[in-house]
Amino acid sequence: MKKVVLTAIQVVILYVFALIGNFIVYCLHLPISGSIVGLFIVLFLLHFNILKLSKIEQGASFLMSEMLLFFIPSAVAIIQYKDQILRHGSQFLIVIILSTITVMISTGLVAQFYIKKHASKKGEI
Amino acid sequence: MFIALGCIVITIIVYYLSKKVYRKLKFALLSPLLVAPCILSSMLVGFHISYSDYDSGGRWLSNLLQPAVVGFAVPLYKYRAVLKKYLRIIIISMTTGVMVALISSGIFSHIVHLQNNYLLSLLPRSITTPIAMAVSFNIGGMPTMTAIFVIVTGISGLIIGPAIIRYLHIKEKLARGLLLGMGAHGAGTSKALEFGSEEGAAASLAMVLAAIFTLVFAPILTPIILL
Repeated sequence: MKKVVLTAIQVVILYVFALIGNFIVYCLHLPISGSIVGLFIVLFLLHFNILKLSKIEQGASFLMSEMLLFFIPSAVAIIQYKDQILRHGSQFLIVIILSTITVMISTGLVAQFYIKKHASKKGEI
Repeated sequence: MFIALGCIVITIIVYYLSKKVYRKLKFALLSPLLVAPCILSSMLVGFHISYSDYDSGGRWLSNLLQPAVVGFAVPLYKYRAVLKKYLRIIIISMTTGVMVALISSGIFSHIVHLQNNYLLSLLPRSITTPIAMAVSFNIGGMPTMTAIFVIVTGISGLIIGPAIIRYLHIKEKLARGLLLGMGAHGAGTSKALEFGSEEGAAASLAMVLAAIFTLVFAPILTPIILL
């Protein structure tokens, strides 16, 4: 029970940082999302030891491990677009799947190539 | 109020059951992000509940994505030494990933003869929803369609990502994390965390950088893609 309460409090803390981020984005008309600004604020506070990792770690790991749950309502929203999907669904799916494969392969191979190069350079020295 | 609460509870129950089934069978096509929305959508249709009624509760769950993104600060902070060490490699890989994402979405859309308004909505599909919608709006796409493409990308990435890692023998944790975070934003990052916490940290960074780089590159590359 104590663990549940602690996690809930930490989730609220993280939420507050997201809200602060939203506020900053709103005030400065930034093109990025408030939660990413919130992430940088938290990183900044952790770096300068103003915020202790233990104050948010449990809440963060709970949110990250259940993240798929938070995507589900937006996935259910797809039924609202029945017409477009019946008309173009297969085209959308082809583009998304082929492009995702291309992106993942190129990113993974480029990263792997440079990591290996980096490692072999180190080996020579 | 009652409907909203009911929708939240049912979504959580369906999610947990589908997650349990997935854990047992370990079959990629049974991802909770594919199964649960199918079950919930059929329930809405079956019980004649409108999506806006469902979303009065569902939006509370969607809102938790915001603190979840903030939470990615934790793995980023914990693995900052490794990430700093490989910063150059990370930036090169992510620049490649973002350019390939934009260009390949454009090329494949041309190939299947999609109209420009759909093409433009597809371009930012591989980054996290709020930024993808903003980019879509900026380049003249339809933000709501983009939100859907982002979700479908997430589902596809969850299924495709691990297969690519296996077939291409991507053994480096950093490379695994980057390809998952780049290819499938938050959904990919949650998959990366299943591989391990270092992969998760790499994927979190990839997700954040992909969003920022796309903001920069999308307006520049869009005119070229539309040619």
